[in-house]
Amino acid sequence: MNIIVIGLNHKTAPVQIREKLAFQSEDTIRKALKQLIQLEGINETVIFSTCNRVEIYIYSDNADKDSIVNRVKNFLSDFHHIEIRDFENYLYIYKNKETVEHLFKVTSSLDSMILGEPQITGQVKDSYEIALSERTTSLILNHLMNRALFTAKRVRNETRIGENPVSVSYAAVGLIKKVFDELSRKTVLLVGAGEMAELALKHLIGIGINNIYVINRTYERAKELAKDFNGVALPFDNLKELLTKVDIVICSTGAPNYVITFQMIKEIMPLRKYKPLFFIDISVPRNIDPSINEIDNVYLYNIDDLQDVVDSNLLERKKESDKALKIVKEETEKFMQWLSSLQSVPLIISIRNKAEEVRQQELEKFKARFKELSPEVLNSVDYLTQSIINKIMHSPTVALKNNCDNKEILIFAARRLFGIDTEEE
Amino acid sequence: MGTIFFELSLTLYFAGFLLSVADIIRKKHDLDRAIFLLSLAGFGLHIVYLLFRYLKSGQAPVFSMHEANSFFAWSILLISLCINFYYKARFLNFGIILSFAFMFVSALFPRGIPYIKPELKSLWIDIHAIMAVFGIALFSIAFVFSLLYLIQERAVKAKKFGGLEKILPSLEILDKINYRLILWGFPIYTFALVVGIIKYFILLGFDIDPKQLWSVLTWCVYLLIFYLRVKGDWRKKRAAYLTIFGFFLLIFGFFGINLLTESFHSHHEYYSNWIKS
Repeated sequence: MNIIVIGLNHKTAPVQIREKLAFQSEDTIRKALKQLIQLEGINETVIFSTCNRVEIYIYSDNADKDSIVNRVKNFLSDFHHIEIRDFENYLYIYKNKETVEHLFKVTSSLDSMILGEPQITGQVKDSYEIALSERTTSLILNHLMNRALFTAKRVRNETRIGENPVSVSYAAVGLIKKVFDELSRKTVLLVGAGEMAELALKHLIGIGINNIYVINRTYERAKELAKDFNGVALPFDNLKELLTKVDIVICSTGAPNYVITFQMIKEIMPLRKYKPLFFIDISVPRNIDPSINEIDNVYLYNIDDLQDVVDSNLLERKKESDKALKIVKEETEKFMQWLSSLQSVPLIISIRNKAEEVRQQELEKFKARFKELSPEVLNSVDYLTQSIINKIMHSPTVALKNNCDNKEILIFAARRLFGIDTEEE
Repeated sequence: MGTIFFELSLTLYFAGFLLSVADIIRKKHDLDRAIFLLSLAGFGLHIVYLLFRYLKSGQAPVFSMHEANSFFAWSILLISLCINFYYKARFLNFGIILSFAFMFVSALFPRGIPYIKPELKSLWIDIHAIMAVFGIALFSIAFVFSLLYLIQERAVKAKKFGGLEKILPSLEILDKINYRLILWGFPIYTFALVVGIIKYFILLGFDIDPKQLWSVLTWCVYLLIFYLRVKGDWRKKRAAYLTIFGFFLLIFGFFGINLLTESFHSHHEYYSNWIKS
């Protein structure tokens, strides 16, 4: 039997290839799953597709890995209308233990572009749920996926890999929390617009800030944005007045010069009784005079500063990843143990051993009770019991030895029925 | 008898101290619960000890070096527990470390009941001494919060968060607690001072000793801090620096003057009296 992953990610393939092979929507994934499961030799499958990776997990009870891989390549080629040779070289293909370890790493965000980013675990879970609802998974991949999610949870709880923010907008939020408490009472001003500024604003709303002002050179744009964020739009002339009352300023305009100057802040600080003022300047070129950081109770972070914070946090995460890898290795071992418990020959042996053990025990009791019986009688009892066991064991043994669909389920059930249980949670 | 309670609470403080140091070094907060329980238990036993001593001697347990340090440690812990309770600011780590330090100092001094001249013994002197020590404890913690504020402020300005800053709360909280400590500490200290001065004049007439002068000077600095705080000028760095300055005056008043002079207040005098008795 084989657990195989065929995939490509941001490390092995450029975005042009990744986007061609990506399964863009849930419906596409469902369609693809339906087709994949029809292919010969594929018993179970899960498709995992994000902007950084496309991976197809397969369980097959067929021993011929290469023919399965070829079928999947053909499928990808047909499904995405792309020649095999165009993507073949970017693929990685793992088998069994490697696959398990790979999936555990991916789910725990050890293989992500941003180490330790939390979204990936949820994405794995979603992909698994799609496969589950399409009924393209069964015993093996179900267990595998559950263990992967469990591993990710362990990594998150037992290491500090996800602790320090490593995206610029999260880093900004973290810094704001270093200065302010009771964020729901704080006011934020958005100067200008821009994707990053909006993202930062969204995070701020996420942590409870809800008093928002928006100003922009074009008043209409300000009004649009204010509507999106449930804020108040004001004309650009109000900048100075607003600076006397807001707590946080996110600045991101296209202006070529400083929109907020040293002089301006120097003047307004006494007016606001030196209440702390936190600036985030995401614009390039910078829109806020960097020297304002020297004024008492004024804090300024520009895009590079935020990036520095992010970089140093990433470094911390790298240190933690060794610990995480250890957990992944541990969990991989556990899974492989479980997998080997699903082999039929050892199971048949242990069922027989168990039966024999019972037989011997009962024979001993019998002999102790009827001491007067002659050896001939005892021999025939021995023979009798043996043949009963052989008769009873015959059909389970044959069933377990023969190949059939979903054999692991049979093995799994047999273990339970005969009470052959190794560890299990 | 009774010192068993002192030893027990000292031991609990020591355990809390060790856990807190571990917490701070590892920059984590996962021992908080244990630290809280240890502190609380130590605090309770310490109350028993203080009460025991008070009942035995009939005077406030704050007059010898042993007593003053032990009561000071207790006050620090009381304030830290309150801060933890009201602000969820996780200050207990630092609080228990300070408490243990003073408890340790306290343990080094002889434990006998200090001798006080009968003409000085009165409820007002007790109140004066207790409130003075408690006020100083409030100012001391304000001092610690000022330091933490400056550390955190410097990190935010310099954009580097490597050490202690990681586990410190926001500047706003640090400052707010600092403000509250001054707000409580100033009236208490003032009251202690006024009671002390009045009692002094009644007992000994108009004869000023250096410790009193120094206390009044210190009081003036705290008056300034108090005024700036209440006025609401949010230039907190200034308040923080001033609080640190005030604290050094205070400490010098508490220990320094005693060493330099031999006055009415000097513990040195109590100590020698105790030896004689």
